[in-house]
Amino acid sequence: MISHFLMWFCNWADFSFFGAGVRNSAWLFPSIEIFHLLALGILGGTVLLVNARLLGLRFTGEPVAELAKDVQPWMYISLGVVLVSGFFLFSSESLKMYDNPAFRIKMASLVLAILFSFTLHRRVSRLDESHLAGAWPKWAAVISLVLWTSVGLAGRAIGYVPQLH
Amino acid sequence: MSLTSLFVWLHDTSFSIWLRDSTWTEPIVETIHVLSLTLFFGFAVLLDSRLLGITMKRRRISEVLAQLNPWLIAGFIVMTVSGILLFMGDPVSFYQTTFFKVKIILIVLAGLNVLVFNATIGSRMESWDLATPTPGKAKASAILSLCFWIAIIAAGRAIAYVLPPP
Repeated sequence: MISHFLMWFCNWADFSFFGAGVRNSAWLFPSIEIFHLLALGILGGTVLLVNARLLGLRFTGEPVAELAKDVQPWMYISLGVVLVSGFFLFSSESLKMYDNPAFRIKMASLVLAILFSFTLHRRVSRLDESHLAGAWPKWAAVISLVLWTSVGLAGRAIGYVPQLH
Repeated sequence: MSLTSLFVWLHDTSFSIWLRDSTWTEPIVETIHVLSLTLFFGFAVLLDSRLLGITMKRRRISEVLAQLNPWLIAGFIVMTVSGILLFMGDPVSFYQTTFFKVKIILIVLAGLNVLVFNATIGSRMESWDLATPTPGKAKASAILSLCFWIAIIAAGRAIAYVLPPP
């Protein structure tokens, strides 16, 4: 059922005018990829900074909530750019991506990373300092770092792994 | 000895051959290069946007710099070492690629920008630590830094299109 829907979605993206547009242009894919990479860098930097604070490694003199609020706009904007540019890159070769195991792992980790960031991690990074004692906030940081790192590693692997079919 | 003959010699060293022929070295080194680069760029954007007065306005610039700098330096070192390894696997082809030369020149310019900042407006940071808006020279330095790094990343990506990984 889900695989049917995903297959239909990949088909639709692959045959859409933007999918074909990116595919048939010599410079669109590389240019979108640069935006993808730049935004990804900003996203990675902000995620690392907030988690480094939760782990007590950086900005220890500042409340977590304030630092998180400061970098939040950068996080949201860069996540938006990453998702939109990523979708266009995907649409140009979505049927190929459907059969790419690294891409599947990347999407699964991405969904988990986003869900975690906007639920538990967000609650932790908004807590008052007095509630941040103990190991849980540090675990939230570790889980967030592991999830985002796996998105990055699986993304890197897309170009190297063989197709499933 | 010209650079080309130096790189031809480097190309034939056993270390370069090992880098080139190993299945795992290139993907691993490239992944380290890209991951450290993204984190470096993220931190650089935060620092530059503080210099521009966009983020963390209430925080002292010297404090933001002190907190971000050690990781920026660490990221730069990892990036440079992994970059040199990538280069050493195929020095002649890299040297013949225009984007590679452009990238190296841009990295030198980005470094000069930091040196100029430290020698001029950056050395008087205490006097404008919390100033709003920040001095024009600091803003100019931040904008230059952003432009250089965006161009460096774009040139780096372009190298991968001219010289696809093996």
